[in-house]
Amino acid sequence: MTEIHKHWWKPLALTGFVATLATTLAGCATAPMDSASLTPDSKPLIPGKEYMIMANRPHQIHVVEMENDTLYTSCDMPGDFGPGALIMAPDNHTAYMLTNHYKHIYGIDLDTCELTFHAAMSQAPNERTISMMSFALSPDGSELYSLQNPTILNRDHYRVQDTRLSVYKTADGMNAQPVRTFDAPRQVTVMATANDGSLYMAGADIYKMDVHTGKVETAIPARNWQRPLYAPPDVLAVWPIQSPRNDFTILYVTAKFQDETYDMNTAEWIYGYFNVDLETGETTTTDFAEFTEIFFTGMRSPNDGNLMYGVLNNLAKYDIKEKKQLKTSTLDHSYYCLAFSHDGKKIYAGGTFNDLAIFDADSLELIGKLELPGGDTSPTTLQAFVR
Amino acid sequence: MNNFMLKPLGLSLLAASLGSMASVASAASVAEQAEGILNKQCVACHTREGDNQWSRISYQRKTPEGWLMTIARMQVMHGLEISDADRRVLVKHLSDTQGLAPEETDGYRYVLERRLNAQESLEPALLAEGCARCHSGARFKLQRRDEAEWEHLAHFHLGQYPSAEYQMLSRDRDWFPIMMEKLVPMLGEQQPLQSSEWSSWQQATKTDMKGRWSVAGHMPGKGDLTATMVVTPLAGEDQFSVSMSGQYADGTPLQGSGKATLYTGYEWRANLTIDGVRMRQVFAVRDGQLTGRMFNRNDESMGADISAAHMDGKSTLLAVQPGYIKAGTQSELMLVGTGLSGMPTFGKGVEVVSIRKDSDRRMHVTVRASRNHEGVNAVSIGKAKGVELAVYKDIDQVNVVPAYAVARVGGNGGSTNKLFARFEAEAWSAGKDGQTGTADDFRIGMVPATWEARPFDDIAAADNDLGFAGRLDPRTGVFSTADAGPNPQRRMMTNNAGHLTVTAQVQDGNQTHSADAELIVTVQRWNNPPIP
Repeated sequence: MTEIHKHWWKPLALTGFVATLATTLAGCATAPMDSASLTPDSKPLIPGKEYMIMANRPHQIHVVEMENDTLYTSCDMPGDFGPGALIMAPDNHTAYMLTNHYKHIYGIDLDTCELTFHAAMSQAPNERTISMMSFALSPDGSELYSLQNPTILNRDHYRVQDTRLSVYKTADGMNAQPVRTFDAPRQVTVMATANDGSLYMAGADIYKMDVHTGKVETAIPARNWQRPLYAPPDVLAVWPIQSPRNDFTILYVTAKFQDETYDMNTAEWIYGYFNVDLETGETTTTDFAEFTEIFFTGMRSPNDGNLMYGVLNNLAKYDIKEKKQLKTSTLDHSYYCLAFSHDGKKIYAGGTFNDLAIFDADSLELIGKLELPGGDTSPTTLQAFVR
Repeated sequence: MNNFMLKPLGLSLLAASLGSMASVASAASVAEQAEGILNKQCVACHTREGDNQWSRISYQRKTPEGWLMTIARMQVMHGLEISDADRRVLVKHLSDTQGLAPEETDGYRYVLERRLNAQESLEPALLAEGCARCHSGARFKLQRRDEAEWEHLAHFHLGQYPSAEYQMLSRDRDWFPIMMEKLVPMLGEQQPLQSSEWSSWQQATKTDMKGRWSVAGHMPGKGDLTATMVVTPLAGEDQFSVSMSGQYADGTPLQGSGKATLYTGYEWRANLTIDGVRMRQVFAVRDGQLTGRMFNRNDESMGADISAAHMDGKSTLLAVQPGYIKAGTQSELMLVGTGLSGMPTFGKGVEVVSIRKDSDRRMHVTVRASRNHEGVNAVSIGKAKGVELAVYKDIDQVNVVPAYAVARVGGNGGSTNKLFARFEAEAWSAGKDGQTGTADDFRIGMVPATWEARPFDDIAAADNDLGFAGRLDPRTGVFSTADAGPNPQRRMMTNNAGHLTVTAQVQDGNQTHSADAELIVTVQRWNNPPIP
C-alpha cells in the first residue's frame, strides 16, 4: 500500500471540519444583542500571572490560571456559540471573540466580564456577512481588523459580494462601525499584525496589507510559489493562534517530485511551515517533516525555534533542521488547537470536547487534564497571556 | 432557525411528500390548486410575472425529488410555512409542468433509485471538483436551467455556505471566479431550460398504469423474484393503489400493497409494505414497460432491480431466470414476461427438453446446453425478445459487486437507521480465447458464493475494525453494520467505523475463484436529502 492510499481519509478529516463550519454558518440570520454586563461575580485577573483562555458551549469564555492549571474564572458571552475563535488584546485583559455563527465579534474585559466592544460583520440590513476566523488587533490594540465575506440577500436570490477588509476602532464600543474598508482577496482565513502595524493574512498566498492604504502585496508566495519539483502547497489554517515567539506560523503540506516526470507515486510528501517573524517582518518557507498525518495547528517552541509541535490525533514534536519526528504522544481524543506556556515548558491542547489537556513540552507526557464546565469547545482558540 | 431541521426533514420528506395525494384530491385540479398556492404563498418572495409565471420558479425543470428538495429548502432556510398536503400539490404540479423528459434522466436514475454505492465519473473534471465534491453529480445533472438561473444557483451556494471556497478542491484555485466564468456558462449550454426531448415528451402518449403488470426482479442477498402487480386508480390525478404478489427463486413468498403517484407522466413513486417491510418503488414507465428499483425505506441497501410489463395482451419477455447455463449440463430456466406462448428458442447449442407453463407470464423450460458451444445467446418466444442467456464452459473470473461499498452505523437509540452493505459475486467467462480482460469476455451472472471479511490494512487490524464494525453473513454476502455512537472500548473512544476487505469464494467444479471488494463502514449520513 502506498503512503497516499494509507492516508486516504485525511482529506476527509479536513472536509469534515469544513462541513461543520458550514453547519454552524448556516444558522440564523439575525443575532441577539444581549446586555453588556453578563457575569456579576467576575474575578479580576492578577497582574503578572499567566492565564489561558478558551471558549465553549453554550456561550462562555474560561480563564485558566496556568501556574496550577485550575479554572480561575468564566465569563458569559452573548448570542449563539460558534466558532468561539479568540484573540487576546495587547492590553492583556481584553479578549475578542468571533461568535454568533461567524457573524459578530465581541470584546470582553476579563477582569470584569464586561463587554466593551461589538461589531456585526454585516453592514446593511439585507447583507449577511461572516468572517472565516479572520480577525486581528493592531499592535497598540486601538484597531481591530476583520476580513469579511458578504452576501446580499435579495427577495428571491442571493448575490455574493467581493470580500473586504474592515477596520474598527476598539474604543467605539458596542455598536462599532468600520472606520475604513478596503477591497481584499477572497479565501483569506487567519491574520496577525506585525510590530510595524502591517497586517499579514493567510489566503492563496500569505499577504501583507498596509492597513492605512489597503495596499496588498505578497509576503510569502504559497499557491503561487515557484519551487522547482514542488507541487503547490495545501494550506488550511483556521485557528488564529498567537505565539509567545511572536510568530505567524502557517502549516502546509506539499509533494516533492523526483524529476520532471512529476510522478505522484514516487513523490515525497512533506510537511512545512510558512513563518512571518512579527517583530522583524522576516519571512521563511521551511519543510520540516515527512507528511504522515494531519495536524490542525502547529507551533514552534518559545525556547527553541528548531522544535515544531503539531496536534490533531497525536501530539508530535519535530526537529526542523533534521526534518525528523522526535516524539509523538497518542491522545484519548482529537484536539484541534495548541498553545504554549510562555516559559515553553508546558504545551496545551484543546478544542473538540470540554477539556484542556496539558503536556510536558519536553517528554510529551500528559501532566494534567482540566475539565471545563459547559459543553464542547468546538474550534475555539487557546491563547496564553500574562496579565 | 435551526439548521438541524434538515435532519428530520430528510428522508421522511420523501415518504411524506412523494406519497399519495389522494387526501388532497378535490373538485379543483392539481394545476388550479397549485396556482392558488403559488399566488398565495410563493409570491411572498417570487414575483408574479403574468399568468402562471413566477420569478425563479418558472425558469427551472427538475425531477419530483428535485422539486421536493427545493420546497423543503424554502421551509428550512427561508421560513416558508406550508402544509404537507399543499407541498404534495406543488411537487406534483411542478414535476408535471416543469419536469424532465425520460431521456433527460437516463444515466442518472441511480440517485433517484437510491443506489448509494454508485460511482460517478463526471466530465469535465471541473463538474466533479466544482459541484460533486459536496453532493452527487446527479443532483445537478437532473436539473435544467438557463445560464442566468445557474448563476443564481452558484451565488446561492457560496452565499449560504461561505466555507465552500475554503474546502479542498476550492482552496487550491480562485474558486468563485472559476465557477462564474467557466462552470455557470458550461451548465447553461449543456443543460438549458428548453429541450427538444422535453417538448416531445409533453406531446407523447403516456402509459395507462391501470391494470395488471408482470414483474421480474433480482434482490442482492436474496436472489431472483417474479410477481404480478395490480394497479387500481384512486380519486385524484395520477393516484393509484398498488398490490404485489409473487415469490423469490428460493420459494419465499412476496406480498404487499400500498399507494402510488405518477409524476411527469412516467415517474412512478409508490410506498408499499411488502412482507412487513416498508418499501419504496422508484420506476420509470415508458411504452407499457417499467424499470427501476424497489427498496427498503429503512435500509436502502436492501432493494430489488425491477422490470415489469403491462399485461395488456402484448407478448413481452422480461427475464430468463437464472440468466446462465453451464455448457454440457441440463437445467430448468424460467421465462418471465407477458403473453408467453409458443416454443421458446435459446440460441445456438441450447435445446429445449420440456416446457411447463404455469401462466402466460411464467414459463418453466428445461434446456440442455451442448458442451461445444459458449457465448451469449439471444432468447425469444414468438415475437418477444430482448433477453439473453449466457452459456459458459467455465467461470474464469469473479468480481464482487459493488467493488467499493459504504455501510453506515446507526440505531442504538439514535435518529438514523443502520445502512447495511450487500455484496454479490459476478461470474465472467474469458470467452473463446481463454484470456480474461479481452473483448470476447462475457458476463455469466450473479452466482452463489461464500463470504469472508478481513481488515483492509494494518491500521484496520490494529483497531480491530473487523470485531467492531459489524458482521458479514458468510452465506448471503450481507454485511450487518454495528450500532452507532462512541464506543468506549475502542481507541480514542471512536464509533464502530471500519475499513474491511470483503472476499467472495466461488466454486466452479474443481476450481475455486476468489475476488475482493473494499468496504468502508462509517458514520451516519445526518443530512440525507432525497437526492444525496
